[in-house]
Amino acid sequence: MMICAPVGVSAPKPAAVGYRARKVRCAVAAAPAGIGPATLYDVLGLRAGATLREIKAAYRRLAQERHPDVAGAPAAGDFVTLHDAYATLSDPDRRARYDRDSVVAMARAPPGGPPRWYTARRPRRTWETDQCW
Amino acid sequence: MSPCLLQHFEAHRSHALRAPAASRRFPTLRERLRLVGVRAACRVRGTSRPLRKDPPAFPPPPSSRLNLPLLPPPTTALSSPPASCSKKRASHGRGRMSEQVYIVASDSETTGEDKSQLSFPNVAIGIDIGTSNCSVAVWTGHQVELLENTRNQKGMRSYVMFKDDTLSAGVTGGATQEHGHEERDILSGSAIFNMKRLIGRMDTDEVVQASKSLPFLVQTLGIGVRPFIAALVNNMWRYTTPEEVLSIFLLELKTLVEMHLKHPVRNAVLTIPVAFSRFQQTRIERACAMVGLHVLRLMPEPTAVALLYAQQQQQLLHDNMGSGMEKIALIFNMGAGYCDAAVAATAGGVSQIRALSGSTVGGEDILQNVMRHLLPDFDSLYVDQTMDRIKSMGLLRMATQDAIHKLASQQHVEINVDLGAGHKVSKILGRGEFETVNQSIFEKCEGIIKQCLADAKLGPEDINDVILVGGCSRIPKIRSVVLSLCKKEDSYCDMDPLEAAVSGAALEGAIASGVTDPSGCLDLLTIQATPMNLGIHADGGSFVAIIPRNTAVPARRDMLFTTTHDNQTEALIVVNEGEGNQAEENHLLGYFKITGIPAAGKGAVEINVCMDIDAANILRVFAGVVKPHGQAVPPFIEVRMPTLDDGHAWCGQALAKMYGSTLDLTVLPKKLHP
Repeated sequence: MMICAPVGVSAPKPAAVGYRARKVRCAVAAAPAGIGPATLYDVLGLRAGATLREIKAAYRRLAQERHPDVAGAPAAGDFVTLHDAYATLSDPDRRARYDRDSVVAMARAPPGGPPRWYTARRPRRTWETDQCW
Repeated sequence: MSPCLLQHFEAHRSHALRAPAASRRFPTLRERLRLVGVRAACRVRGTSRPLRKDPPAFPPPPSSRLNLPLLPPPTTALSSPPASCSKKRASHGRGRMSEQVYIVASDSETTGEDKSQLSFPNVAIGIDIGTSNCSVAVWTGHQVELLENTRNQKGMRSYVMFKDDTLSAGVTGGATQEHGHEERDILSGSAIFNMKRLIGRMDTDEVVQASKSLPFLVQTLGIGVRPFIAALVNNMWRYTTPEEVLSIFLLELKTLVEMHLKHPVRNAVLTIPVAFSRFQQTRIERACAMVGLHVLRLMPEPTAVALLYAQQQQQLLHDNMGSGMEKIALIFNMGAGYCDAAVAATAGGVSQIRALSGSTVGGEDILQNVMRHLLPDFDSLYVDQTMDRIKSMGLLRMATQDAIHKLASQQHVEINVDLGAGHKVSKILGRGEFETVNQSIFEKCEGIIKQCLADAKLGPEDINDVILVGGCSRIPKIRSVVLSLCKKEDSYCDMDPLEAAVSGAALEGAIASGVTDPSGCLDLLTIQATPMNLGIHADGGSFVAIIPRNTAVPARRDMLFTTTHDNQTEALIVVNEGEGNQAEENHLLGYFKITGIPAAGKGAVEINVCMDIDAANILRVFAGVVKPHGQAVPPFIEVRMPTLDDGHAWCGQALAKMYGSTLDLTVLPKKLHP
């Protein structure tokens, strides 16, 4: 979203609506850049700024599709992923930490850098432990 | 293990345990069940009269057609070789017996008149086995219907009466005999009840210890094996087990349901207390398997209530009366044997269990407290169970029960009871006094609710509805404790406190059987949570939780461990369940060994222990060496838990004594730099 903002400012005319929208789509598409969804927001099919209500609604909707009671036992893995994403994003503290960490990861990742799972999954270094005390 | 195997196993077991006695004079379980089966079959004929009263729902079975299949010549059933002769034949024999009974539901009878029930022949029934009362319900196509027994009761007393060679359970209440059982008979020592409190417990358990004041025999040795329980038959104590009693009860219940539905019943959803250990759950499953019921799901009682609540909210939305917003309900359920609470978040037919907590306090404890209060020398008086002591204890029990019920609506109650042998209780018991006597129980209830709210990370202001269910929810003090903790004026009133759990179970039964409803009544989903921490023994006797309590099910979590000694090549994985910080405070589920760990300095090897709970709530533990990896490392081990069958207490002690810390593991500290 932050990347998009300046683009929106520079866009002048009615045509800009289409332009802006296209740009956003690009930004989202750039993030995963690999197999499967990259962020927890993608798991829930949401944008990064989604409200708590949207998160809950998306979780419920997807749970009704992916819960093994509905989709059969092999779907258990899917549901666990979904629930983990929901558990993180529905807790304000954990969501804030996750958002901060993923922004840091995005900023740090050199273009075409490490594989996606590396940035998304592994615990990040934190500011304290990076220092040489 | 398939039900078939279980049955076979049980046949083997009961044979091994009781063969000498069985061959001489006492009927084995199979023979007993056969007797019940025959009685049940006969009863179908005998009870056709009460059914005639309500023709639209249950048209009387055409007796001419029923006679033939239902009346096997008694000689075939009774004279077939006893179970101890041939294990294999015995298990087949029972199958045959069942057929004879279940033939009630032959296809030829599926005429159009009772379409509502017959359109769902495979739908699972919902059963709520309570410590004191039991009920059964089924989805009939548009709603849940509770079934009544021949005495027109929906809540049936949970007990099994042992008399001579005949057995009868509370489902019929002995109604087919000359006279039905009265409370006096149930408390005479001949009936076993409270099996839900006894099932799957060791003799060191405080609940078993407290059960020693029941009128039947509960003997303990305090070494961590199953207690010895027995019923009085012809002035003799006859041994039985809680599983056996439960299965006899379930068999009568199943026959009742089949009579009503006119087709065989195979699948069931049962409700269980939150405080039930996984081992106790396997005992319930086994009792069901023994009567040919396949358990589709064991639902913690408050989650069954949550499902019913979700359906009601969904219905309101359909009728444009609900808002569609997420609603948080606190469910408090207290029956005779257990008490549990749940916080559920509900919207759009999805009910997510946020937190669960439970304990083994219940109406039985309240009853015992009051009995001890009324008769201060209760324990010394009833230390031995002679016939007149049992009778006198029964009288006291009935009087106390009655007084507690009356105190729900009145401020004072007068108790006058002559216990015989010069003992007499005459007292006026006030409500305030009653509440003081049971102070500790109300405090425990408070603790359960507080813990539940804390685990759900919610405060009283977040709760939309407080649902009070179970027999003890009638006690004014319990209501005021729960409502004041949730800062509510009144509780949710659209539910019958005694029928909510079984209705929820029947709903789940329909959903789990794949029934869909065009009006969307069954578009419901419950996301369950684990009620207890699951973990392993590590760091010298500590309990390390791998799946913490209140994790959404299905769940899969893993953790890395490492060796505690140099060149340690073996490690013992001891799986526990519970809330204690020390492994020994928790319930032992099973154990296994990882062998062939590559020799290395301590802390150099990485061992992964992964726990997986699937949607059917089956726990599997995977463990193996992940570092170093390669050909030199043995394959992972997968174990379905619980593996332990009996003797949990001494098993844990024996392991500690034999191996001490030689095969111990320790948690591998999380690395900061991946």
